Amino acid sequence: MGEVIVITSGKGGVGKTTTTANLGTAMALMGHKVVLVDTDIGLRNLDVVMGLENRIVYDLVDVVHGRCRLKQALIKDKRFDDLYLLPAAQTKDKTAVTPPQMAELCQELATEHEFVLIDCPAGIEQGFKNAIAGAEKAVVVTTPEVAAVRDADRVIGLLEAAEVSNPGIIINRLRSQMVKKGDMMDMEDIMDILAVEVMGVVPEDEYIIVSTNRGEPAVLDRNSRAGQAFYRIARRLAGESVPMVELASGNGFMGRLRRLIGLS
Amino acid sequence: MDALNSSPEDMGAVLVERTLRSGQSVSYAGHVVVLGDVHPGAEIVAGGNILVLGTLQGTVHAGVGGNEAAVVVAFRLRPSQLRIAHHITRPPDGQEFVPEEPEIARVKNGMVIIEKFGQHREG
Ligand SMILES: Nc1ncnc2c1ncn2[C@@H]1O[C@H](COP(=O)(O)OP(=O)(O)OP(=O)(O)O)[C@@H](O)[C@H]1O
Ligand SMILES: [Mg+2]
Repeated sequence: MGEVIVITSGKGGVGKTTTTANLGTAMALMGHKVVLVDTDIGLRNLDVVMGLENRIVYDLVDVVHGRCRLKQALIKDKRFDDLYLLPAAQTKDKTAVTPPQMAELCQELATEHEFVLIDCPAGIEQGFKNAIAGAEKAVVVTTPEVAAVRDADRVIGLLEAAEVSNPGIIINRLRSQMVKKGDMMDMEDIMDILAVEVMGVVPEDEYIIVSTNRGEPAVLDRNSRAGQAFYRIARRLAGESVPMVELASGNGFMGRLRRLIGLS
Repeated sequence: MDALNSSPEDMGAVLVERTLRSGQSVSYAGHVVVLGDVHPGAEIVAGGNILVLGTLQGTVHAGVGGNEAAVVVAFRLRPSQLRIAHHITRPPDGQEFVPEEPEIARVKNGMVIIEKFGQHREG
């Protein structure tokens, strides 16, 4: 049986879809059998980021409602034989499927793939509940901003309540210049607040925009710093032990906050 | 809460053996003891006292039925908002006070005051 991992965040736009596309592609690059599932029904993106939009015939809702077989809806990646995408429906909404249906679908996908990566929609309502229903592991994406970290905390609590144990944190869009100046939280600060393991830190990288527009995940480009960071995280997720690369540790955002208000 | 007519002391205490994260809440007619932290966005409501053996950053309301003798104690008391009976307090704007030792909040002369834990007995 494969492992079902949900990529979630609470706050929207922090990089869940980018993370799902890159981790999945990296795992395929490493030789694993992987399927990506877009659960953002009504606002699908993963197909575009993977460059597979024009191949969609059936989607997740069609599978759940028995309008096609699972195999018919899976889209094979352009670059890797063992990488598949199950796209979301675009013309329905989140209530088109239920958590038990999602759990059953994940179960079925896990029989044929080593890793099932679920791209979760923003929010904590039905879309979130669907996305986590079949997951045994979670990755929580946040940016180094107080509001995003607060939402990550909320989501970690909900994951714990749903017995999706020991989520790992990915800090996305870190700007080392800002960290050095003490204007942005670093890994330590975020680990202090959330009290969970950080799986990796991904720098802010303009190349992500280029790669997203082209439909080619950044891990495929050796020159993309974000891509290489995602590659290291994928190896960790697959069970390898990969040392953390120090991106930047500044004087501490928290330290500066305290200085600003005259406490130290 | 339904047990407000019986005194909070009769209700004993609940022990919460985990960290409360944003959006999680505990409410009990007696005392509440947390073995862990209370993150911003988490909430505790108690008829009696609230004890946090960790860092308290969320919102707490002790003595919710009007018990002015209720207290809030934390290893690090940094609540977003703290209420005792009908008194409501919050830290002053633009200042983050980071206590380094356990503190106690209670009502004294109609005001919520915060003191170093242990000192309050003398005063
Ligand atoms: N490391 C990065 N550097 C630069 N831009 C990034 C990075 N990661 C993500 N982005 C950009 O941020 C935007 C949001 O990313 P993405 O769509 O992956 O977020 P999301 O969490 O899936 O959003 P939603 O909540 O809407 O589903 C995109 O425009 C993406 O290109
Ligand atoms: Mg998305």
